[in-house]
Amino acid sequence: MKLHTKLTLFNTLSKLVIVVLFVMLIPLLTRKINQSFIDNRLLKQKDKVMQVIDSLGIRYYMPDDSSYGSYTMLKEEYIALDRYSSPVQLDTIANERRMVERDTIEYRILSHTFKAGNKDYLLEIGKSVSTIGETSSPLQSIALQVLLGMVLLTIVADFSYANYILQPLDRIIRAKLLGKRFPLVGTYPRIKTSTYDFKYLDESIHEMISHIEQAFQKEREFISNASHELMTPVSILQNKIENLFDREDITDDVQMQLIAMQKTLNRLKSIAQTLLLISQIENDQFIREDTIQVEEILKEVYEEIAIRMQDKNLGFTLDVPPDTKLVNVNRFLLFNLFFNLVNNAIKYNVPNGAIRITGSMVHGKFQLAFTDTGKGIPAEQIPLIFDRFKKFRQSSPQESFGLGLPIVKSIAGFHNILIKVESETGKGTTFTLTFPSELLPA
Amino acid sequence: MLTTDTTTMNVLIVEDERSLAREVETFLKKLFYTCEIAFTGNEASEKIAVNLYDFILLDLGLPDYDGLDLLSEAKKHNPEAACIILTARGSIQDRVKGLDLGADDYLPKPFSLLELQSRMQAIARRKFDLHSPLIALGEFSLDLTRRILSHHGTEITTITRKEFDLVSYLVLHKNRTLTRMQLNEHIWGSLITDDYDSNYIDAHIKNIRKKLGVFGNTDWLETVRGVGYRIRIGQG
Repeated sequence: MKLHTKLTLFNTLSKLVIVVLFVMLIPLLTRKINQSFIDNRLLKQKDKVMQVIDSLGIRYYMPDDSSYGSYTMLKEEYIALDRYSSPVQLDTIANERRMVERDTIEYRILSHTFKAGNKDYLLEIGKSVSTIGETSSPLQSIALQVLLGMVLLTIVADFSYANYILQPLDRIIRAKLLGKRFPLVGTYPRIKTSTYDFKYLDESIHEMISHIEQAFQKEREFISNASHELMTPVSILQNKIENLFDREDITDDVQMQLIAMQKTLNRLKSIAQTLLLISQIENDQFIREDTIQVEEILKEVYEEIAIRMQDKNLGFTLDVPPDTKLVNVNRFLLFNLFFNLVNNAIKYNVPNGAIRITGSMVHGKFQLAFTDTGKGIPAEQIPLIFDRFKKFRQSSPQESFGLGLPIVKSIAGFHNILIKVESETGKGTTFTLTFPSELLPA
Repeated sequence: MLTTDTTTMNVLIVEDERSLAREVETFLKKLFYTCEIAFTGNEASEKIAVNLYDFILLDLGLPDYDGLDLLSEAKKHNPEAACIILTARGSIQDRVKGLDLGADDYLPKPFSLLELQSRMQAIARRKFDLHSPLIALGEFSLDLTRRILSHHGTEITTITRKEFDLVSYLVLHKNRTLTRMQLNEHIWGSLITDDYDSNYIDAHIKNIRKKLGVFGNTDWLETVRGVGYRIRIGQG
């Protein structure tokens, strides 16, 4: 789940919990508020009655010493005065039931005892509480609706704000991490954000990238320098052997030794040259501005390599739309890429096997599949076949040093070509190249 | 143009790696070229300003001089000279720049001396207008300029580009045994693969003999047991 979805979801849930809690608390709250309101009123009324009694005497209410009582029309309120004989003095407010003209009604009742003219009296003022409960349930539903509306509004607001505030993260990932190939060319503008955390992330990524970049740079320089430094002595040795070979006074035996030396030297030379090529590709030292006709270049590859197929009596099928062109590529490199793939297909093929190259447009992209009828590659080895100096398929009759597929990988990477490997042991392997749409003519 | 005779051509070898320069000199002297060596850029600069050369073999990676500057100087003082760039710093940019500045060819180190020789001959044919006559190979004749192999005037069309290259390389180095490695390097040289022992020269030679055998005798194409191949011309 996306971070901003998670944040919004959490916000929504927490708000909903609060709303539900609040709505559930409404009856309790209204009762509390009402009660304190009623109590206040009762106290005021008591004060008023006591004032009247103080100034006009108890006779005002009780002219003949019999009890006094009065209530409002709907019996919502009543007031009662009576003689009181218990020694316990009262001054309380409590909920009690009273019979008023055959109706039993729950009242909030203030009871107050006082002395007037040496006699004890009890004053009761009551107010009906039955109406209080009636108000709380409509209040609950209104509050629920209003609050849910508000929650909905905040969800929208939260979602868009979360979206907005998390945008730099997306930008950082897209600009700094996705689809980055080393070496990186050009500079990296800082992502604009006022969020400290993202700045921190951006800076950390920068730091990491520059470390990686340095490590890559060092490796490339090392390979490049090492290969160059190797080339000079190899060059001297090669020419010395050639000149020696040409001398009249050497015996057949020495001649054989010289040939053996030449072979060994050739091996050293090949490795150095291949490493140099890979480092040059990875150093972006090639120009991508050639336009090639795919079928034509594959025919050339075939011509170059036909002798090797003949050696194993392999069948060859080339099925590429004749007008397919690739632009912005390096011809030399693509030739080497195709050559190495076909060479690979020959090397690991069985005698009398076959090789097929098929080109097709798939979802607007050009795909080129190299299929062989060879031994196949066990699934667990497929991720490793592009590693330098890895040799798995030992039964190969030719000697090689395991740089054929690394060359393929470097060249493909240089052109943003995707390589897919499918293999079935004993049946064969298919290498599928997917060319990005920018390599197709507009 | 100084001369049209290959045997008296003047070559300046500009190479700071002394033993390499000596090997190139030894090889070219055997082919009757007249050689001078400059071990430093300054030395080369002086020689270029004073003397006239037919060939300047130029190492770009000189410690005291920018090889490309030297190339410009050569073009100025020795406009007729053919310049071949020899370099271990074989970056593509250098190559493009070098050829832009008028170098005639470019040979990355390490190179075979035979390859150097064939490049020099190719340039000589092109630049000094040395029309090589038809070369007779038994009943066959080879036209290096037009790249045609024919039998009694009939062009042999079955021969592939690679096979022609192989024959002409052997002809260029006639009467000399070329090892499989040397032939291999010539015809597969620009390809970078990971086989160091792949050798299809024998298969190529077999094909050539089969294709030409239909027309006539191919005894001139000799197998030297355990070593390689040789084309014999003019010595019976």
